[in-house]
Amino acid sequence: MNLNIQAEKDQTYDAIVVGSGMTGGWAAKELAEKGLKVLVLERGYELKHVEDYKTAFKDPWEFEHRGKISNVAAEEHYATMYFSAKEGSQYLYTNDKENPYIQKRPFNWIRAYHTGGKSLLWGKHTYRWNQEDFLANAKQGLGVEWPIGYNELVPWYNYVEKFVGISGQAEGLAVLPDSNFLPPMAMTAPEIHLKKSVAQKLNRPITIGRVAHLTKPGPQHTAVGRATCQFRNRCSRGCPFGAYFSSLAATLPAARQTNRVTMVHNAIVKEIILDDKAQKAKGVRVIDQNTMEVREFYAKVIFLNAGTIGSTSILMNSKSARFPNGLGNDSDQLGRNLMDHHLAIGARADIEGFENDYFFGARPGSLYIPRFRNWGNDKRSYLRGFGYQGGASRADYSRGATEPGFGADFKKKMTQPGPWKINLSGFGEVLPNPNNRFTLSEDQKDKWGLPQIVFDADFGENELAMRKDIMNDGAEMLEAAGFKNVVAYDNPVAHMGLGIHEMGTARMGKDPKTSILNKFNQVHTCKNVFVTDGSAMASSSNVNPSLTYMALTARAANHAVEQLKARNL
Amino acid sequence: MNRREAVTRVAWMLGGVFSAPTLQAMNRWEQIAMSGTPRSQIGAFLNETQHAIMARVADLIIPHTDTVGALDVGVPDFIEIMLRDCYKKPAQDLFLAGLGDLDQKGFLTLSPDQQIATLTKIEAEAQKSTNPSFWQLIKEQTLLGYFTSEGGIKASFDYQPIPGKFEAIKIKPGQKDFMYGNQA
Repeated sequence: MNLNIQAEKDQTYDAIVVGSGMTGGWAAKELAEKGLKVLVLERGYELKHVEDYKTAFKDPWEFEHRGKISNVAAEEHYATMYFSAKEGSQYLYTNDKENPYIQKRPFNWIRAYHTGGKSLLWGKHTYRWNQEDFLANAKQGLGVEWPIGYNELVPWYNYVEKFVGISGQAEGLAVLPDSNFLPPMAMTAPEIHLKKSVAQKLNRPITIGRVAHLTKPGPQHTAVGRATCQFRNRCSRGCPFGAYFSSLAATLPAARQTNRVTMVHNAIVKEIILDDKAQKAKGVRVIDQNTMEVREFYAKVIFLNAGTIGSTSILMNSKSARFPNGLGNDSDQLGRNLMDHHLAIGARADIEGFENDYFFGARPGSLYIPRFRNWGNDKRSYLRGFGYQGGASRADYSRGATEPGFGADFKKKMTQPGPWKINLSGFGEVLPNPNNRFTLSEDQKDKWGLPQIVFDADFGENELAMRKDIMNDGAEMLEAAGFKNVVAYDNPVAHMGLGIHEMGTARMGKDPKTSILNKFNQVHTCKNVFVTDGSAMASSSNVNPSLTYMALTARAANHAVEQLKARNL
Repeated sequence: MNRREAVTRVAWMLGGVFSAPTLQAMNRWEQIAMSGTPRSQIGAFLNETQHAIMARVADLIIPHTDTVGALDVGVPDFIEIMLRDCYKKPAQDLFLAGLGDLDQKGFLTLSPDQQIATLTKIEAEAQKSTNPSFWQLIKEQTLLGYFTSEGGIKASFDYQPIPGKFEAIKIKPGQKDFMYGNQA
C-alpha cells in the first residue's frame, strides 16, 4: 500500500500536456515558465531538432528517385500523398497503412507522430482571425456563438506573435488584422504588377504572405537557438537553422530551459482517469507504443493538445459512470462539426514579358489575397468567404517534357529560365455542420486495442457555391493584370482533411448543453481538463488557423495557473 | 489510394505554376503513371536490347556537347530505377511498347541522322495527341535524371543550395538558371 502511494507520487506532476506539436509546445512552455512541473506526453518517437533532419542538407542527386515518391511509399502513405509526395519530407509523415482509419466519406487524415507533430509539416502561413470571424456564427444562427471575441484574443495574439516571429507587411485591413511583423519577404516583378492592377481595377488589396519565418531574429528567437531564414525553401525536410517556427525549434527548447519539464515519448494516451466524485481528472492512462506497457501519470491539470482528432478521441475514450458517452459529452457534441478548409481550386495564367526580371533565392512563402466576398457591402448567395495564396515564378527545365525539341540546342535552352507563370490558389471557409463528424469504430481496433476513427464528413452546398467564385474571381484578377491563357481550375479532390486544418469536434461555447468547452478551453463539466488545439474551434474562418490555436493555448495556460493559485482547480 | 487524387496530385504539389496545356498533359501522364498495381521491385527492369534503345534515345535528347550528356551522368540506369520503383503497370507497359516499336524499326542499326529523323516523327505524333505517350515519358525522365544529377546540375546551372536571401534581380538574355535543389 505504502509502495503504491510512493509510486503514484513519483508519477505526479502539476500539469500533463498531451501532445508536443503546435499547441502542446505552447502549453508546455507557458505552464513551465509560470512555475509548474510539467509532463509532456508524445505518442510518437523522439525526433531531435537539427540532428534528425536527415535530408535537410542532401543535394538532389543524393535521392534515389530524385524526390519522386516510389510505389511502395505511395501505398504506405495513402492519406498523405499530396504532401509526402517528395522523397525528402516523407519521413516526417505517419505511415497510414500501419495506422489505418475508416472513411464513410473520403477524408485524408494526415498525421505526424513524432516530437513536434504537425508543426514540422505546416505551411507557415500565419494570420489573425478578424472581428467578424468570431461573430458570424451568432449573426447567422449557425453552430454556436463563440464565447470570446477578437478583442479578448488581441493581447494573446500579440504575446505569441513576438515569440513565433512572423514575416509580413502591415496593411491596416480590418479583414486581415496586422500581426507584430518581422521584415516582409520580397515580391517578384509580375507579382508587383498584379498587386497594382488588382488594386486599381478591382479595388482588392494583395499583400505578401505572412509566414512564420525569421527574416530578422530577435533576442527571444536566438535565445532558443533559432537563426535567420536562408531562403532555401527546403522547409518540408525540417529546418536545421530553426528559421521557421515549430515546437521542436522554439517552444519545446524554451520549455526545457525552465528545468521543470519532463518529456515521455512513445506514450499513447488511452484515456483520462476521472475522479467521478470530485468530477475532476486525476491523470491519464498511457500505452507504450512499443512495449504495450500501461502506465499512469497524475496531475492537477491536463492539457489536451493531441491534434483535433487525437484530443477529441481521447475524450471519447474516457468513459465513466458520470460520462458514459465520453468525458464532458453531455451535449452529444463530441466529434461533431468537423471542419477543414476547402482548397485545390483557383486560377492560373501565363505571363508574357518580364524576360529580364528574375529573383535570387527560394522564397518559402507566397502572395496573400485577403477575403473580399461577403465583406463590407458585398453580398453573395452563400455565407462567409475565401482568400488566396499564390505567386509568380519562372518555369524550370521540366517544361521541356511537353515542349517540342531534343538535342544540343534543346539541352542548352533548358539551362535558362523559362517563361513566367502565375497561380492563385483559394482557401475557403467551411461551415460547422453537426452531421460532419467522426466517431469511434465499435469493432475495428488499432494495434494498441484502441478503436479506429470513423470519418463521416464532406463539404456542403455552401462550400460548393463558394468554389464557383473562387475560380471566377481568381481568373478575373489575373485578367485584370493582362496575363495570358487564364484558366480557372477546380481539382476534383474536394474532400476534407487535405487542408490539414482539421477543426471543431469539441467546440467552445457559452452553453454546456450545446458545447464541450468554456471560454477558457476548459471542459464545462470537468474544469481541470483543457483542450486548446483545433478541436476547440466553433467556426473555421478562411485563414490558416495555427496562430489562433497558439493564442488560445497561451491564454488558457495563463488561466489554468491563475485558477491553480486561487485553489479553484 | 483514390484514383481522383492521383490525377491531380503532382500538379498541385508543383505549386500550380504550369500553364494549362502542360498541366493537362501532366495530369494525363499522372493518371497513367499512378494507376494499376506496382510490379515486383527486384532486379533489372529492361532486357539488354530495351536498355540499349532507351539509352540511345536519352543520349539523343541530352547529348554530350561542350558539357556532359545524359550518358555521362548515368541517366539510363536512373530511368530503369524509376520505371521499376515509381511507375505503375500502365505507364510501364506504355514505355515497353514504345521501346518495342523502336526495336521493330531497327532503331539501333540506323545512322544517327536516321535515328534523329525517327524521333522527330515520334515527337510530331506525340504532339498531335492528347494521350500520354512513350515520348513524353522518356523525355521527362531523361530531363529529370540529367538535370538533377551532380554532373548535370554543375554543368547547367548556377547551383545555390544556401542562397541566404531572396530578392528581385535583373538577368541577361541567355543567363544560366539558378538551381536551389529544393525539389526533393
